[in-house]
Amino acid sequence: MAGNRLFVRRRDGRIEVRLNDAGRSFVRGVFSQVVTAEREPDHQWHASLHSPIDPSIDADNPLSTLSRQSETTTNAELALMCVDEQFLTNGEAWAWLTSLQVALRSVAVSNGVLSDERLSEIDADLRSEIETLQLLLFSLAECL
Amino acid sequence: MGAVKPMPRTTTDSEVVTSEEVLTKRPWNVVVWNDPVTPMSVVVVIFRKIFGYSNNKCTQLMMAVHHEGRAIVWSGARDRAESYCVKLQVAGLQATIEHAD
Repeated sequence: MAGNRLFVRRRDGRIEVRLNDAGRSFVRGVFSQVVTAEREPDHQWHASLHSPIDPSIDADNPLSTLSRQSETTTNAELALMCVDEQFLTNGEAWAWLTSLQVALRSVAVSNGVLSDERLSEIDADLRSEIETLQLLLFSLAECL
Repeated sequence: MGAVKPMPRTTTDSEVVTSEEVLTKRPWNVVVWNDPVTPMSVVVVIFRKIFGYSNNKCTQLMMAVHHEGRAIVWSGARDRAESYCVKLQVAGLQATIEHAD
């Protein structure tokens, strides 16, 4: 079982990334998408990255959106910067986890996958994308 | 030292608590909402990292989100509730705040 893990916690505390070239390429694409989505309002993921905190007051509180925007961008940018590393620190691994999770949720929201019923109806390509993100998240969460 | 005689207590304007003050002192809840794609173990890790709760408490909260559709994961002052809510959203969970009943 351990040999099939995508991420492994080492004795020195670092997390080893055991992705092949295709896996690295997939993850790099995901992190790039999150960074782009944060910067470009027209990106299909942009709306899902800016959920209101309190729908009754959020429109009057631009600072809340601003703080989330900068913090999210920092996580995704950090993840993108260390996407080719073989070993991750805890901070880098957290940036990977949150960026992958943001991507998973954005894929779901942008495709209207908001219920178990809708999830059961999606096409094979979208299912494959969601399951790949879930697999990465499962494995990384085991190390954190 | 001589004993200090207590002054007779009277009610002043500043001691009158208005209904508005009572409202503003009600705590704020941080609510996490269920979604069909997020792995359960990821939710537990995020709760543990952001709130510092034990594994058991994180698992209980995660199960509450899963079965009930939402769960209150923290209650308290509004500024801290907003801060936690932002952290949860940055981590990719659907979270909001609401005034406690």
